[in-house]
Amino acid sequence: MIVTNKTLRIIHAGALQQVIEQCLERFTKQNPDLKFEIKGVGSREGAKRLLSGEKYDIIALADQALFAELLVPNLVENYFVFAADQMVIGYHRSSRGSKEITQENWADGLLKPHVSFARSDHRLDPCGYRTLMVWQLAENFYDKPGLFSTMEAASIPYSTYAKSLDLAGALFMGKIDYAFLYSSQAQQLGLPYLILPAKINLSNPAYADYYDQTAVSVESIIPGKNVIIHGKPIEFAIGIANTTQFHELAKSFVDLLTGSEGSLILEECGFIPC
Amino acid sequence: MNEEIISNLELTIPIERSIQAELLLLLGQYPSHGYELIQRLNDAAFKSGEADAATVYRNLRRMDKDGLIQSHWEVGESGPGRRLYELTPYGEDSLKLWAQHIAQQKTKLENFLQAYFQFEESLFKRKDGVKRT
Repeated sequence: MIVTNKTLRIIHAGALQQVIEQCLERFTKQNPDLKFEIKGVGSREGAKRLLSGEKYDIIALADQALFAELLVPNLVENYFVFAADQMVIGYHRSSRGSKEITQENWADGLLKPHVSFARSDHRLDPCGYRTLMVWQLAENFYDKPGLFSTMEAASIPYSTYAKSLDLAGALFMGKIDYAFLYSSQAQQLGLPYLILPAKINLSNPAYADYYDQTAVSVESIIPGKNVIIHGKPIEFAIGIANTTQFHELAKSFVDLLTGSEGSLILEECGFIPC
Repeated sequence: MNEEIISNLELTIPIERSIQAELLLLLGQYPSHGYELIQRLNDAAFKSGEADAATVYRNLRRMDKDGLIQSHWEVGESGPGRRLYELTPYGEDSLKLWAQHIAQQKTKLENFLQAYFQFEESLFKRKDGVKRT
């Protein structure tokens, strides 16, 4: 048992909220005197917060590529992939046309008049740019030229729901008919969801080269300058900040999440533990 | 026999179990992490179907728990750290048993096909005889 009156600060992808909370519940039993501060954000926003000087001990992000792009080596030395997921289309019992949509016709169903759908903000949240990648892949996969632009124009403005957690909440409340989410989020909320073909749902490393053909422009490490990011299989990763004063504690927490207990929690929350 | 019926027959083969044998063989060749194993499995000539990430990771965890393979976190030199899997001596024994089992199945299937072709030939001769009379 590690006894301390210190506070461990964790910044995490909003999609990991339940996982982090459940891990902390167990970690607190092992370290009853420890205090925590947790912050759920869009992962790109989270990495930018660290870059702007905010101090955290542990960083858990929805896109492992963000570590290499923005944080390694200055802010984080090593990071570990601990979970995988896939993009799905979440809906609810009252979603218009939900009984008719399939893997083949979902784009037509979502583009019907009076049907609403949304994605999160690609500038802040990997789920947002991954949705754009799904639409790009779908255009090619279903041979529907112009589908990407049509989906983008018909979608509820991306700034409405900044991160996928906000989007999942809006779907749960019935504010929208459909949302592009991670499978784990739909499962956590008990919402029905449409599984997309593996060639477009960013789940399978076997299609890594195929996913790589997609491209989304986002703001780079230099404010005002953009960088192109390419599609990859969805992988979540965790790292310890170089500046932490509680390296042993932080490592214990990472060990919990990446160990057998963490795997069980991840599975319960709908993720694929890696 | 049409392709749909053949496809339905293939569904009765326990893919979940054969994936374990395929993963044991790949890890016997050299240690790998899950991401790489999914790619290697999908490139392998002996794959039994499209291997998705959930199926592969679930089987790796089960095989790790059963002592067929072992794993540890490997720090990435130029990328992320990943869990690296390798075969255990128990896994090597299990792979040998799988190979023996598959060889037996292969012999059985070859015997079946040989008997079937003889039957098909006799059927053809019988029909040919009926036509001539």
